[in-house]
Amino acid sequence: MKLKNVLLASHGTEGAQAAEKMAFEMCEKGAKLHHLIVVDTLWQGMTGDDWLNNGGIRDKFRRYLENELGQEIDAHCDKVNVEANAHELEYSKEIRVGEPDECLIEASRDGDYDMIIMGSPRPKGVSGLRSKMQTKKLTKSLSIPLLMVPFPNE
Amino acid sequence: MVYTKKNPALFIIGVIMLAIWFMADAGMLSGYIEHLGGKKYKYTKELLSIPLYFGVVAAVMGLWQWFGSHKEGNFDYYTSTLAGAMFILLIAMLVRWFIAPEVAVVSKMMGKVGDTGKYLHKILGLNYVVMGILTGIIIVNFFKVPEWAKNGVRVSRLGLKTGVILLGTLYSAAELKNLGGLSIFMIGFFVLGSVGMTLWLGARRGIPNSMGGVLSAGMGVCGVSATVASAPVVQAKSVEIAYTIGTILLWGVGCMFVFPMVGQMLDMSYLKFGAWAGTGILNSAQVAGAALAYQPDGIETLKVAEIFNITRVLVLPIIVMWLAVWYVKREQTGTKVSVGQVIVEKFPMFVIGFLLLFALSTTGMFAPANHYKGKYFNNTTDFKSKNLLSDSKKAALQAEMGKIQRADRKAAVERLIANGKIMSIEDDDQIRGLVNAKIMSKDNNKILKKAHKAVRHASAKIKAFRNWITWLFAFGLVGLGMQITVASMKQAGGQPAVIGGIVGFTKAVLSLIVVMLVVKDTI
Repeated sequence: MKLKNVLLASHGTEGAQAAEKMAFEMCEKGAKLHHLIVVDTLWQGMTGDDWLNNGGIRDKFRRYLENELGQEIDAHCDKVNVEANAHELEYSKEIRVGEPDECLIEASRDGDYDMIIMGSPRPKGVSGLRSKMQTKKLTKSLSIPLLMVPFPNE
Repeated sequence: MVYTKKNPALFIIGVIMLAIWFMADAGMLSGYIEHLGGKKYKYTKELLSIPLYFGVVAAVMGLWQWFGSHKEGNFDYYTSTLAGAMFILLIAMLVRWFIAPEVAVVSKMMGKVGDTGKYLHKILGLNYVVMGILTGIIIVNFFKVPEWAKNGVRVSRLGLKTGVILLGTLYSAAELKNLGGLSIFMIGFFVLGSVGMTLWLGARRGIPNSMGGVLSAGMGVCGVSATVASAPVVQAKSVEIAYTIGTILLWGVGCMFVFPMVGQMLDMSYLKFGAWAGTGILNSAQVAGAALAYQPDGIETLKVAEIFNITRVLVLPIIVMWLAVWYVKREQTGTKVSVGQVIVEKFPMFVIGFLLLFALSTTGMFAPANHYKGKYFNNTTDFKSKNLLSDSKKAALQAEMGKIQRADRKAAVERLIANGKIMSIEDDDQIRGLVNAKIMSKDNNKILKKAHKAVRHASAKIKAFRNWITWLFAFGLVGLGMQITVASMKQAGGQPAVIGGIVGFTKAVLSLIVVMLVVKDTI
């Protein structure tokens, strides 16, 4: 079965790259691929309990961090876009800020998707940011099929 | 944008505060206060004043916020912080007056722990400061900070900075000179040592220069604050920042509990503990937390620890500049580092306020006329005869003279026993040192403390400053607790966790050894 309209949740990690690959394979030519990138709320807590710095320093740090995240997202989206074009897919992207599962549920309601494709949670021992999807909550709330692609080599 | 939320929350907070005051004033809390310690319960006076003043403000402003019309502007912006600030204050009140004393009652009911001779809450440092921070952490992580309070939670930083500025009134010139010298030596050695060690370990473990740079600032200078200041300078990647902040927060929160426990086990004096916490704990907020946790109803430990904090924050611009030069050289980015700009930009302005109040304090403007002159030697006119040591107290001190090793301290106690009161500033210094070192039994330490109080009278203004400072720190630390998210702590991992663990542990242990060997019991 080939898909016509897919919501891809990916933020470029190893598991998410497997999901991207699967999405390219499962979409028919000319299909729509909507790419969702979630900026986790954990980034809002990055000034932690700093109180010694002046407000200007904190603002500079926040702008810097936002800029860094923006650049990383842009580079990632460009890469997925190139791949999507190579597979003759119609690529679009969307960035949401919030809890990953809540953002995905909301995004799934905003479009007429055939399926959601995402990577599976990172296995224990693999390093990376701890920003997990609450898959239990997700499966209870979604009204369209969800495909969780296994982690590479698992 | 209009920041004020049309919400009954502030009004409700005001009503709760007024209810606390009313119940205390009408004697409805007498039974409960009896349960919490009766005559030993220290907060009765506070219960009869603080909730009344703040309750009226919160209730009146709460009604206005709830039913009034609000327009965009500075007034709206600043008053919108009230709900959050009062929310933090209410938590601080509840924890200080009821929750922490209740925990102490339960802990005492459980009896002393093994052969430590101490109750569990003392060993774990479970007092209103630690529990206030914990409450903040629980609120932000399990219930989320309510929308109407978010704007005000930021004010907690202002509380802490104002607390440090007011601390300036409590140091004598000699104290500041001696503490400053000690902190420059300790901070200088351990900051440079841990920055160097982190960079060295980082190079050996092959981490990127940007990660090494941001981690060394965090581990070496003042935790999250240093990471925030240095991350843009060394162009740290987002994941490197997350790992570093996570590691430091986790380590800092752990230290806030472990340090007071170790201090209790080693019976450290306030000066020694303040110096150790000020050097060994990575995060500046947790330094204040640990100091107040160690001595919740006094300010001596905080005074020492904050001098170390101020020294650290003064070192911060220098370290950031050094890292900037180091990074540019290593990465060969060709970027020019403006020394002046970095120093001016990173200079902590509140330190000027601290120095200003210290300078004003040395003029005597916060003490009544002749306060300093007559502080010790009111022995002939103002000394109350009821304060003279009784024969039984003299005998109790005499019985433990064998415990005192140092000749100068022994001589001071002998003179105290002979005269029934402390006779000179020098003797008073020795007696205070003896109390801080906890050499004599608890009962005899109480006798010595009373003898000290009988000859030294703090100005009413200074007493008020002390009280305000305690409240400002409690308020600030509860608010800072609300900014520590488990999500950011969970990011502790990767190489920063390994390197940070090694450097943090080494710094804590080495600074403890140095403090025990070098630092005396009095300033």
